[in-house]
Amino acid sequence: MAPLTEPSAGFKFDNVKRNQLLGDKGYKLPTATKTGTTIVGLIFKDGLILGADTRATAGPIVADKNCEKIHYLAPNMYCCGAGTAADTEFTTNMISSQLALHSLNTGREVRVVAAMTMLKQYLYKYHGHVGAALVLGGYDVTGPHLFTIYPHGSTDKLPYVTMGSGSLAAMSVFESRWRPGMSREEGIEVVKDAIEAGIFNDLGSGSNVDVCVITKGNAEYLRNYSTPNERVQKEQSYRFTPGTTEFYAPRVARQAQEPAEMDTSA
Amino acid sequence: MDRYSFSLTTFAPNGKLLQIEHALAAAANGVVIATEKKTGSSLIEVSSLQHMVKVCDSIGMVYSGMGPDFRVLVNSARKMAQKYRRIYMEDPPVRILVKELASLMQEYTQSGGVRPFGVSLLLAGFDDRGANLYQVDPSGSYFPWKATSIGKNMVNAKTFLEKRFNGEMELEDAVHTAILTLKEGFEGQMTEQSIDVGIIGTLPNAQDGGPTPVFQCLSPADIRDYLSNIA
Amino acid sequence: MSIMQYNGSAIVAMAGKGCVAIAADKRLGQRALTVDTEFQKVFPITDRTYIGLPGLATDVKTLYDRFRMRVNLYKHNEERTIEPKTFSHLVSHMLYERRFGPYFVEPVVAGLDKNDEPYICGMDLIGCINFAKDFIVGGTASDNLYGMCESLWEPELGPEDLFETISQALLNAVDRDALSGWGAVVHIITPEGVITRDLKGRMD
Repeated sequence: MAPLTEPSAGFKFDNVKRNQLLGDKGYKLPTATKTGTTIVGLIFKDGLILGADTRATAGPIVADKNCEKIHYLAPNMYCCGAGTAADTEFTTNMISSQLALHSLNTGREVRVVAAMTMLKQYLYKYHGHVGAALVLGGYDVTGPHLFTIYPHGSTDKLPYVTMGSGSLAAMSVFESRWRPGMSREEGIEVVKDAIEAGIFNDLGSGSNVDVCVITKGNAEYLRNYSTPNERVQKEQSYRFTPGTTEFYAPRVARQAQEPAEMDTSA
Repeated sequence: MDRYSFSLTTFAPNGKLLQIEHALAAAANGVVIATEKKTGSSLIEVSSLQHMVKVCDSIGMVYSGMGPDFRVLVNSARKMAQKYRRIYMEDPPVRILVKELASLMQEYTQSGGVRPFGVSLLLAGFDDRGANLYQVDPSGSYFPWKATSIGKNMVNAKTFLEKRFNGEMELEDAVHTAILTLKEGFEGQMTEQSIDVGIIGTLPNAQDGGPTPVFQCLSPADIRDYLSNIA
Repeated sequence: MSIMQYNGSAIVAMAGKGCVAIAADKRLGQRALTVDTEFQKVFPITDRTYIGLPGLATDVKTLYDRFRMRVNLYKHNEERTIEPKTFSHLVSHMLYERRFGPYFVEPVVAGLDKNDEPYICGMDLIGCINFAKDFIVGGTASDNLYGMCESLWEPELGPEDLFETISQALLNAVDRDALSGWGAVVHIITPEGVITRDLKGRMD
């Protein structure tokens, strides 16, 4: 029963050989969705602020116009992700799950360094093949902490950080406007402007600004804090008159059945 | 048979009939589980004892029997809940967690080199079927209850609950009923130090409007308030 | 040529007012050679949740069987029908398990949840979910479909309007894609039941 119901932990590699063969035969193997991304974080007077844009790309195509790049890790900790979208999503979920267990087992709030160490050790293990570039921020018993974590597992601890393809645009805002001991309002404004610098100057970033403010004992997630790219009302409706599309009979409404369903009545 | 008890619910590794502690619960629009924190000596630091644990946000658990065995089950239960979450991105329904925990306990009744778990569990939780209360025995059997009790005073406590329980109880009433039931046959003075109370209730969720089930252990101060209302 | 283009496919899902629609072409090819014109790419998972699997046909079939098994087990274990959102997370989890040796599909899920609310989402081949409120596209005609959907889709379409919109979006997209087309099927999922229609399309 176990092999049927319980997926084994970790990755499966049973398709690798086949895929390699296809690759050798000259079929190009597809690439996953990336988050081109501008993500940032900064320390202010009472804590820290994280920010992210909301564009996901598949090559030159905008795959998602309003995705969430600020991931929940723990009640006192959030993490922005750039790079391969699935990797940032699943890596942060997995670490969040481990942090929840750790906090239940110790009866304490987990420290940010613990999350940082778990993330870097996990990423190092995969030598950069798990393509997650992260900005980790949290407030614990020792105060506010802000880290960047690179796909290969290296980390930095700085008072203001940017990552992703829009990091240069965002850093230009931080370098000119960040100063120690900023107020909450000033901080949010600088983060918003840094992300918008990415949105407007980096093609990999776009759409809206998500912000997360973490202070002692509180985390406030401001989804779509700024929406500088609202779509305007369409001028015309392209509604078709019913009957436009030709289709074959039978055109009856039916309750769908599940063809391969097992008989559960016995 | 008199010298040793092989009854699964009261199994003890030293062969002695285990004097199990007393735990009890009542279900309403939430669930309340309460337990007596019994100590062998007055010298023991009572505040360090943890009988009531959180498994995940929507499920809490209490036991009667051997503490060390319980800790093993708590670890497993928490891991099971997290494993379910990693696949479906939601907390497991109470019945699913109970089933899996019960299978683990059943395995220990027929595996070589191990003994059965010396505990009975009460699990309280909330899922899309509403409030749930389950009992799991060392044999691996499990039962859903509206209200029940396990442990040394269970017969009296159940009789008491049969009289006091009704399905329309509010959460506050259920806490009172649970504490009153514990009080039946309680030895010595009942204080906020000597009992543990855990509740599952739904908090309004600001994000998507749906109810969020939350398990909480009441603080000693909260318990003191309830106790003073009862006296 | 990418392996995602080997068989050819076009799948689109749209959210409407109290209903969702999912549509797919029917072509199965081997590069430029058309092999089958009745190839199923959209599958019912429950009464009101459907999944479309654009991509490599061998993986379409394998994955559908795996999903079927997991959903049947879920139904037996939990004694309830899986919600479209829960199912999407299951699919996403199964795809990410093979992060370093993926299946070549980009699933599209469409369904109504237990409160009759429309739910649609799409994924890349390693399970990164795209929760969209409007539409999801996939397959070799996906660039064309993006263009069609961006201009044709509008909010609050009822079942009949949604049928016309999704059908026209799909038909016109596949007409500019050599690798997909050859007939199409549309499923409109409403609280009352599912309307399935086979479209008349160009066979070239």
